[in-house]
Amino acid sequence: MSDAITVSLSRQTGLLNELSVIANNIANANTEGYRTEAALFSEFVSTRADEPSVSMGALRAHFPVLDQGALIETGAVFDLAIDGDGWFAVNRGGEVLLTRAGRFQTDSDGQLVTPDGDPVLDDVGTPVQLPPNAIEVAVSSDGTVTADGLGVAQIGILMAEPEGLSRVSDNLWRNDGPVRFAEEARIRQGFLEGSNVSPVEEMARLIEVQRMYEAGANLGESEHDRILSLIEALGTRR
Amino acid sequence: MTALRIAATGMEAQQTRVATIANNIANMSTTAYSARRASFADLLYRQEVTPGVLSSRTGTIVPGGVQIGIGVRTAAVTANPTQGVLTNTQGDLDIAIEGRGYFDVELPSGEIAFTRDGRFSLDPNGLIVTAEGFQVAGGLAVPEIARSVRISNDGQAFAIFDDGTPPQQIGIFQITTFANEQGLEALGGNLFRETEASGVPLTGFAGIDGAGFLRQGYLEESTVDVVAEIADLIEAQRGYELNSRVMTAADEMLSAATRIR
Repeated sequence: MSDAITVSLSRQTGLLNELSVIANNIANANTEGYRTEAALFSEFVSTRADEPSVSMGALRAHFPVLDQGALIETGAVFDLAIDGDGWFAVNRGGEVLLTRAGRFQTDSDGQLVTPDGDPVLDDVGTPVQLPPNAIEVAVSSDGTVTADGLGVAQIGILMAEPEGLSRVSDNLWRNDGPVRFAEEARIRQGFLEGSNVSPVEEMARLIEVQRMYEAGANLGESEHDRILSLIEALGTRR
Repeated sequence: MTALRIAATGMEAQQTRVATIANNIANMSTTAYSARRASFADLLYRQEVTPGVLSSRTGTIVPGGVQIGIGVRTAAVTANPTQGVLTNTQGDLDIAIEGRGYFDVELPSGEIAFTRDGRFSLDPNGLIVTAEGFQVAGGLAVPEIARSVRISNDGQAFAIFDDGTPPQQIGIFQITTFANEQGLEALGGNLFRETEASGVPLTGFAGIDGAGFLRQGYLEESTVDVVAEIADLIEAQRGYELNSRVMTAADEMLSAATRIR
């Protein structure tokens, strides 16, 4: 295969991957606390002795766009949204994971849990426990949980560096970098943070990927024609 | 081709959302119905390049990595147990709970179910029953000669007589609360059943230990906010279209791939 075809194939493989990323963003456009995944193409240069170098594009990295999603008012007592930076901490199987999806509820023991049943942690890393018969539960903007006027817990808000974050599924993130507690967290009760996927941008990306892919396919085709006509021309020259 | 399947999970999620909205709108006039909402979570990620792996001998690491998600799933469809508006019906046996709690209802099987629908009536034996004829737990019976029934805020029921007989107490309404109301299993017919998730029923009386007070002559309306539901419906429909557009694009790219020669 000629360089032209190899180069465009490497690009097309990357574009297929990017299509999956866009599809995942759009599928999660209504997932609470979801963060858009952006793709980064980078060039790598293949050099061979005595030949001009060829540069190829490849999908090298993705990075999550950590902008805040829109806050949606739900009015539910245990729907919490973080306004600004920071993450809720939840405990899954002994591991502390992070989430921005604040749709919580209580379990049969009165612990504050995610829809998957993972307990939400307070500012010292223990599960938030509510009295089972509380009538009025309020969460103040700094994360203090009061049940019928008595303070019962303080919801922990963690700050993490974007470099250490990786996605786990179920709206959770794993953090391998340093964490610290947020000094100034702003929690809004009765709100949920939507995903930060912008459907318009994703559509534009989708069309771009599709056209680029077709361009790559066309390039392959015209390269094929070029070589074919070359062979024909060389064949009839005798 | 993963993009096709990812878009399919997205369409499925939006379908669940539309079904939830349809059920809410269908139940907008159901007594004491709480609006339900679907919530979603992302699926597992395929690690193409794990973030943090070494990218050179000198110890530089890959900062971002390539993680490709495989779609979305419905994490939960939860009811939001908020107080519905109370409407005045003047009915003697229309009782609303203002605050937390459920009435206990005995099913024909003997099992206890729970409801917030307080539209009660009398059966031929004078027992207080639900609209479906299931007996309210506690065996409250109204004597035949009674003119009316008076129910106090804390659940005491009295029979009132015409002939000058003093009011006679006929029983008390039990009110049950749960640690996690969202964990109750809906049985249909406005009835709920306890589950592992809801915790054990905490049976008590109105106004005690967090249970709400009773209001005679009122019924609790559903908490469905029709305007919000319609806005949600439009969003779900657009979400569905977006996902189907991704599917078309994936399909066209696949067909371009088959044309490569």
